[in-house]
Amino acid sequence: MSDKITFILDGKEVQADSGQTIWEVANGRGLIIPHLCHKPAPGYRPDGNCRACMVEIDGERTLAASCIRTPTEGMVVRTDSARATSARKMVVEMLLADQPERAAAHDRSSHLWDMADANGVTESRLPTKDADHIPLLDDSHVAMRVNLDACISCGLCVRACREVQVNDVIGMAGRGQNAYPVFDMSDPMGQSSCVGCGECVQACPTGALMPATMVDAAQQGDSKDFDEAVKSVCPFCGVGCQVSLKIKDGKVRAVEGINGPANEGRLCVKGRFGFDYIHHPHRLTKPLIRREGAPKGLNVDPGNPMTHFREATWDEALDMVAQSFKSLSANGRGRAIAGFGSAKCSNEEAYLFQKLIRQGFGHNNVDHCTRLCHASSVAALMENVGSGAVTATFNQIEHADVAIVIGSNPVENHPVAATYFKQFAKRGGKLIVMDPRGVGLRRHATHMLQFKPGADVSMLNAIMNVIVEEGLYDQAYIEKFTENWEAEKAHLAKFTPEAMAPICGIPADQLRAAARTFAKGKAGMIFWGMGVSQHIHGTDNSRCLISLALMTGNIGKPGAGLHPLRGQNNVQGASDAGLIPMFLPDYQPVTDDAVRSNFSRLWNSGDFSGEKGLTVTEILDAVHAGSIKGMYILGENPAMSDPDVTHARHALSKLECLVVQDIFLTETANYADVILPAAAFYEKNGTVTNTNRQVQMGRAAVTPPGEAREDWLIITQLAQRLGLDWNYTHPGQIYTEMAKGMKSLANITWERLENEGAVTYPSLSPTDPGQPIVFADGFPREGGRAKFTPASVIPPNELPDADYPFVMTTGRQLEHWHTGSMTRRSRVLDTVEPEANCSIHPATLHRLGVMPGGNVRLVSRRGAITVMARADRAVAENMVFVPFAYVEAAANILTNPAVDPYGKIPEFKFAAVRIERAQEQMPAE
Amino acid sequence: MALDDNQGIWKSGKGKGRHTPKGRQLDDLALAEVRAILGNRPRRRDLLIEFLHLLQDSYGHLSARHLRALADELRLSMAEVWEVATFYAHFDPIREDETPPPDLTIRVCESLSCELAGSEALIAALEAGHDPSRIRVLRAPCMGRCDTAPVLEIGHRHVDHATVEAAQAVIDAGDFHAVIPSYETLAAYRDAGGYKTLQALRDSGDVEQVQDRLLEAGLRGLGGAGFPSGRKWSFVRANPGPRYLAVNGDEGEPGTFKDRYYLERTPHLFLEGMLIAAWGVEAETCFIYMRDEYPAVRQILLQEIAALEEAGIVPQGYIDLRRGAGAYICGEESAMIESIEGKRGIPRHRPPFVAQVGIFNRPTLVHNVETLHWVARICREGPQILNSVEKNGRKGLRSYSVSGRVARPGVYLLPAGSTITDVIAAAGGMAEGHAFKAYQPGGPSSGLLPASMHDIPLDFDTLQPHGTFIGSAAVVVLSDHDSARDAALNMLRFFEAESCGQCTPCRVGCEKAVKLMQADRWDQPLLEELCTTMTDASICGLGQAAPNPIRLTIKHFPQEV
Repeated sequence: MSDKITFILDGKEVQADSGQTIWEVANGRGLIIPHLCHKPAPGYRPDGNCRACMVEIDGERTLAASCIRTPTEGMVVRTDSARATSARKMVVEMLLADQPERAAAHDRSSHLWDMADANGVTESRLPTKDADHIPLLDDSHVAMRVNLDACISCGLCVRACREVQVNDVIGMAGRGQNAYPVFDMSDPMGQSSCVGCGECVQACPTGALMPATMVDAAQQGDSKDFDEAVKSVCPFCGVGCQVSLKIKDGKVRAVEGINGPANEGRLCVKGRFGFDYIHHPHRLTKPLIRREGAPKGLNVDPGNPMTHFREATWDEALDMVAQSFKSLSANGRGRAIAGFGSAKCSNEEAYLFQKLIRQGFGHNNVDHCTRLCHASSVAALMENVGSGAVTATFNQIEHADVAIVIGSNPVENHPVAATYFKQFAKRGGKLIVMDPRGVGLRRHATHMLQFKPGADVSMLNAIMNVIVEEGLYDQAYIEKFTENWEAEKAHLAKFTPEAMAPICGIPADQLRAAARTFAKGKAGMIFWGMGVSQHIHGTDNSRCLISLALMTGNIGKPGAGLHPLRGQNNVQGASDAGLIPMFLPDYQPVTDDAVRSNFSRLWNSGDFSGEKGLTVTEILDAVHAGSIKGMYILGENPAMSDPDVTHARHALSKLECLVVQDIFLTETANYADVILPAAAFYEKNGTVTNTNRQVQMGRAAVTPPGEAREDWLIITQLAQRLGLDWNYTHPGQIYTEMAKGMKSLANITWERLENEGAVTYPSLSPTDPGQPIVFADGFPREGGRAKFTPASVIPPNELPDADYPFVMTTGRQLEHWHTGSMTRRSRVLDTVEPEANCSIHPATLHRLGVMPGGNVRLVSRRGAITVMARADRAVAENMVFVPFAYVEAAANILTNPAVDPYGKIPEFKFAAVRIERAQEQMPAE
Repeated sequence: MALDDNQGIWKSGKGKGRHTPKGRQLDDLALAEVRAILGNRPRRRDLLIEFLHLLQDSYGHLSARHLRALADELRLSMAEVWEVATFYAHFDPIREDETPPPDLTIRVCESLSCELAGSEALIAALEAGHDPSRIRVLRAPCMGRCDTAPVLEIGHRHVDHATVEAAQAVIDAGDFHAVIPSYETLAAYRDAGGYKTLQALRDSGDVEQVQDRLLEAGLRGLGGAGFPSGRKWSFVRANPGPRYLAVNGDEGEPGTFKDRYYLERTPHLFLEGMLIAAWGVEAETCFIYMRDEYPAVRQILLQEIAALEEAGIVPQGYIDLRRGAGAYICGEESAMIESIEGKRGIPRHRPPFVAQVGIFNRPTLVHNVETLHWVARICREGPQILNSVEKNGRKGLRSYSVSGRVARPGVYLLPAGSTITDVIAAAGGMAEGHAFKAYQPGGPSSGLLPASMHDIPLDFDTLQPHGTFIGSAAVVVLSDHDSARDAALNMLRFFEAESCGQCTPCRVGCEKAVKLMQADRWDQPLLEELCTTMTDASICGLGQAAPNPIRLTIKHFPQEV
């Protein structure tokens, strides 16, 4: 790549890197050659079709498209010749002939008009196209408007959809003057398989594709009609996409992806169109105090909470909370108070929250939703690798030639990460997908192992058995970097593919084929999600994956590594910040006296308990048992997210003082005594850490509604009332204090994050953008070696039987995130996925006598829900998939609270249920 | 448990949700039907167009439900299937809300020779005479039977010298299969010494020597580009294998029918030439891309390829016969390669050239049918077969496809230095009652020349100074009955309909040109600006050459525009 090519550009000798195009060289020198179909952004291949960037090359018969042409040694290129200039101008004139008038444009500030200006073209002398050849408006999608009368058939939307996002919805149909982009089979966008990522809208240079919020009823608009643009980080999943928020009149008007390290400009439907929840009328704007005698239950209308609550001043509310907590906890030193922090707030807020519980109440009963998602993964990683974070960013798949995605549906749950996986498969990478559901990656998979739910260990052990038996393991790596190999090897001997096939449901030859594909890869990555972690054997599942990576030497090199995909935007950061009952920041054990004394020094406080605190489910059990009487819940929704949620809701209703701090009156807040209105993520400054270990800066773009306040400020003000000597006035101060207690944040200062937007930890110097891959020279364990921990087959806790013959598994859907409190208040997301539903195989539905879309009653040993049944052949015939975002049919009423002994994570992914045809009933509304 | 304790009270989207995942769902019956039709054929993406033909042939159209199932079966997206199905004129993709076409389709050629022979009146009469719900009448580009203009096709059966009555007779008879002419079979060809040359070369041939003979003979690409054939082999061989050979049988340049002429008579000369070239570049597979307008040729080739396999001359599957689907652009070699890969036929950018990056991104030798016919003859008979002929300072022979206002239209093998006067003479002179006015030397891409330019040898390189070229030597002769302006408009309409739509200058340029050319008086400066940009900035030869009819009409027939 170091070979430079020297050529002549407009009379000057210039140099190009190998592979660089003429356009890029010119652009690097400050010369912008007009361009339309070329989008100089990561992931976009030049296509050279619009011919707006033509240049003249000496000795060539025709002009050349500079965007796609690479110079050769000595080539003489002219961008400014009369021939090139007039061709470029005429191309634009040809296109303008068929554009709507600029004054009536769908996007008055479109790139096309910019380029027309650059060419000095204002109108066209050419006749316009016959009206019957111009496609009509398609407004079938709630989020986007398709006005192909402005389309120039440049195919950027096709590349956006097919090559960048790999959603494969848009194609270029027809030919000649009738060549237009279509969705699926010329379907209306809203009825197509479009997932609403909006990449096409962001790529379209003409306004033919526009966000619905940017055009009026006459389809006229202006993409630059905003007051300011603020860079922040998407508040939804753990991918951590960087966004640019377009603010108009104090509100977010539109969102675009920008070039963050994880997303490179891409977004999904939630990130691009799901922002408007922050402007929803349900936002909490004043502190609320429960009215005397108002019954506790899931009985409050978030649109009208005054039936059960009254408004209060901040002083009254905070005083009341402080007073209650003090009285319940023997003046602030007692175990009767517990806290649930949030993986949705900033690092600073997570840090402050755990500090408040530990410093304020002297114990460690503080936890958050990591318990419900990757606690078992972290347990296994800590045990065997010595660190709970990913060993490589997901973007490293670019350098891999083989990858496993297991128990994860990234197409819906980590959509932007999934784009990289799909691109990898498209490039020829071998993708091994393992999941009981035929998830969205299936079409891209080289091997699709649709195994029996809960049979992970048997399948993975069989695969490792093959690798051992066929000698496909990496002996040198094992010797240098691992321990306990002989025991692992001996353990695996009995897990032959033939023996395991009946258990996991995958034929032995397929297990062998997958094993060979993975082991023979030069660099392999392993991605997993909650399908692995949310089992009573979740830790064992992860142990197998770790062993598989270790025996094939797939850690610590480009394109290799272990990557549990994190669910929430800051679950990595919140865990790092110590929002865990057994760990202080950076996973330092609370049981270690030296660690605790470091923190009490940093906090200028006395010691606190050296006893591990209680986990999420244990805390609620303790509430039932009466030992915990007060809770401070910040931005979590256990009344929806806990297993056997009826039990959790009862616990919440038993609390003497429940304080809920949130942006909406959540299901949990239904049970609150005091509700504190918080600022939403786009209303705050603060850092978050994504699944890639990238610490990123979120910036306030709009002001919080009413009297809502930033979480860090509320925590600080409460701490002060609890008698703590806190005086933070800016999150930067909190970050700086936190970083003092966290080696992982070495070299990553608040100022750097403000300037650079993102730094990956570990960062080895003040200028190092951070290490995408770790553990190249050993592991942070004693002796520097990672460990093989053999895992045995443990069946799920609750197997189907005659009364409950189906396996229910739970999870998320593309449009809804977590318990739906945000996404169900987004107009676009709620419109696309408005109704509680479950997915059942069409054959099963047929057998049950239920039409697709009919209602079914799902009954488990914990309870029953009635829900619309969606016919979905991705689900095995003996399974039902239930998303957990819908309060009116909450999946967790059914789930089994049995937990993994190490990670204490509940078995959300496996419960025995019965499916009945529901009696049709009146809507609850 | 009370209801409110269970469901909350703020949210219910009851009755609003989708009953299935997003988008069109897979239909089990459609999948079974598609599987039955595909049989045990490999589910390869590059076979998509072949599979679309199977469905179109069986059901008369491509229903969305079948396409959805086909996408699933090939692990393609719906859009990938749909965009291919909608690109080619011979497919009828039908959405659920559309009406499938009637069982019978009449395609009437409207290209220049057929237009001169009255295709417009024929179309009008057919449209008036048939209920469109039972028989549809479509306009179609050149079917390569210009010597028997006007021509139409019912099903796969062509009707030469077509009339309403002749069409009705075919409809009444109910046989819509292609008529297979008698031709030289493998046995006959071998009896006459066929394939001995191939065998000798395979046994102990020297590729360099063969290339030298081709160069010595002066053989150049007869698809129209005229690249020296021997040299092409070297370029392909310079790139590491695996390599492929692709035969461009997409003879779509209106007025051209020489490839069909040879294939319907002596297919094995071509096949032996192809196998010699394949031997020369050590091709892994020979793809023959045959235009769908030649169903008889396709039948002949299917039969004779099977015979070659049977005879052990080629291994099973070594020759992969692919069927075009009605797209002139696929005569452009890189568009043809895209089509062979099962995609829309859109030309690729060069560099890289197909000799370096061709089918499946491998080095690919692309030859025209007639070129390979001559490869065999040169190898069998020696270079003098071509280089011994000399006329007007030009060497070699040229197969002129002659149509229009001549007495005996047809393919004439004449010295390459022949002028239009010679060509007309060979074709029996002008048709009765017609006086020579103008001629198209090499398809619409070559535009029109006036009768006054009758003394130019019609060969490679000789026409360039006059702003045109010989191309595939599709000569159409116009008479005093004909309008140059109308002929030019016919040509531009053809380009407008056949532009792939990829690049702006061609997609928009052709469409705008057609509109400007319909004005009573042409806006010549604006048309010239448009032409300049089309020529300078189009990706491929279609858009680059499309202005030729405009410019030459303005130049030579100014009184008409």
